[in-house]
Amino acid sequence: MNFDWTTFILEIINFLVLVWILKHFLYQPILEIIGKRRAGIEKTLADAQQIKVEADKLKQQHEKFLAEWEREKEEAEARLMAELAAMRENKLVELNAQINEEAERHKVLDERAKSEFERRMEAQGIAQGLSFTTKLLSRLASPELEANLYVLLLEDLHALSKENKHVITEATAVPELQIKIQSAFPLDEKKQAELTHHLSDITGRQLPIEFQVNPALLAGFQIMIGPWMLHANLRDELKFFSGSLQHATAGS
Amino acid sequence: MEEAAVVFYAGPFAITSIVVTTWGIMLLLGVFCWLATRRLSLDPGPVQTMLEGIILLIEESIEAVSPGYAQQMLPFIGTLWIYIVIANLVGIVPELHAPTGNLSVTAGLAILVFLSVHWFGVRNEGIRYLKHYLSPSPILLPFHLISEVTRTVALAVRLFGNIMSLELVALLVLLVAGLLVPVPLLMLHIVEALVQAYIFGMLALIYVAGAMQSQQNEKGDSL
Repeated sequence: MNFDWTTFILEIINFLVLVWILKHFLYQPILEIIGKRRAGIEKTLADAQQIKVEADKLKQQHEKFLAEWEREKEEAEARLMAELAAMRENKLVELNAQINEEAERHKVLDERAKSEFERRMEAQGIAQGLSFTTKLLSRLASPELEANLYVLLLEDLHALSKENKHVITEATAVPELQIKIQSAFPLDEKKQAELTHHLSDITGRQLPIEFQVNPALLAGFQIMIGPWMLHANLRDELKFFSGSLQHATAGS
Repeated sequence: MEEAAVVFYAGPFAITSIVVTTWGIMLLLGVFCWLATRRLSLDPGPVQTMLEGIILLIEESIEAVSPGYAQQMLPFIGTLWIYIVIANLVGIVPELHAPTGNLSVTAGLAILVFLSVHWFGVRNEGIRYLKHYLSPSPILLPFHLISEVTRTVALAVRLFGNIMSLELVALLVLLVAGLLVPVPLLMLHIVEALVQAYIFGMLALIYVAGAMQSQQNEKGDSL
């Protein structure tokens, strides 16, 4: 346990040299690099904080834009819905009008078709009735029927009005006029003479009369005095009947 | 404990193996620190991470005892810790003796601590630092002076006694019991080396910080 002054002094010097060595080769470089790292970390933190602030700001702006956009979207949607509702209402009105118009047109067409159908049915019925009547009267046509028609012809000639007689008188004013009398069956002389007598009374003078047999008349007579013509036969009566029926049907 | 062997003479001065060992420690530390710190980067490797951890640990310890003076006291206190730890552990290496097992070495370190207390006190407070020897009463000046001497001696003897006794016990056990029996004692040597280095450095730190804080306390009392 001896104390050596040389070692004592040299150890003091050695330690001070070691302090200098470690200060320059250990403490300072390490503390500098730690300081740089801390500065870098602080700068990174500051940058991150700034970025966070900017991000928060951008986020707020984004949220504001989103809210504004949402509001505009709702307004546009409301306007669109209102326009659609109005457009739908207008379209519905137009559609209803078109439907009503179409229904009216179809109704008119149906009525027209119906009336046309009824008219055709009536015409067909009339034609069938006329055909049936014609066939029936053709089978019933006989000299006896014609005799009855002859009686009716005489009654009609007696019942002629003054105006008709005046017309007949004017029609017979034509020179060389000939009266034509057609019958479905041949007339006997008595009836020819009786007819000649009656016609002379009506015309007021003796005119030549030509008697002809026309089976197409079915039964009865047809008297032609110039332009004037007297029908008293089944064929013409059926024509008159058919014509009057068609006229009545067309009128209804 | 045998005397340190003289390796060579430099004129009238005998250079002992203890001094040579200390030079070896300084050389190794210097080369290691130069190699380790010449390419420092912000993305540290394992060695840089270890060095940064050690330096930060020392700095935080100083900051805890003397807040605000860590940068100023780090070179002296840090070097004390590092040098004493290595010097204590050198004793484990065969054929080498721990420099701290020599009273001349520990006395030199203790004298440096004694001087550094006043150096840091005068550096921070000026000559007014010496007024704390007269507080709270000038009558206590002799006791302050005795305290300065005794604590310095205690520092030197504590470290010298512990390390020297560890080496001596290990040598005795090796002589008595055989080759492998001192191994647990060597493990104890490692723990003791770390503890003694911590105690020496922490006491030095407390002495220096105490001198600064006593002056600051006087300022606070006068306010």
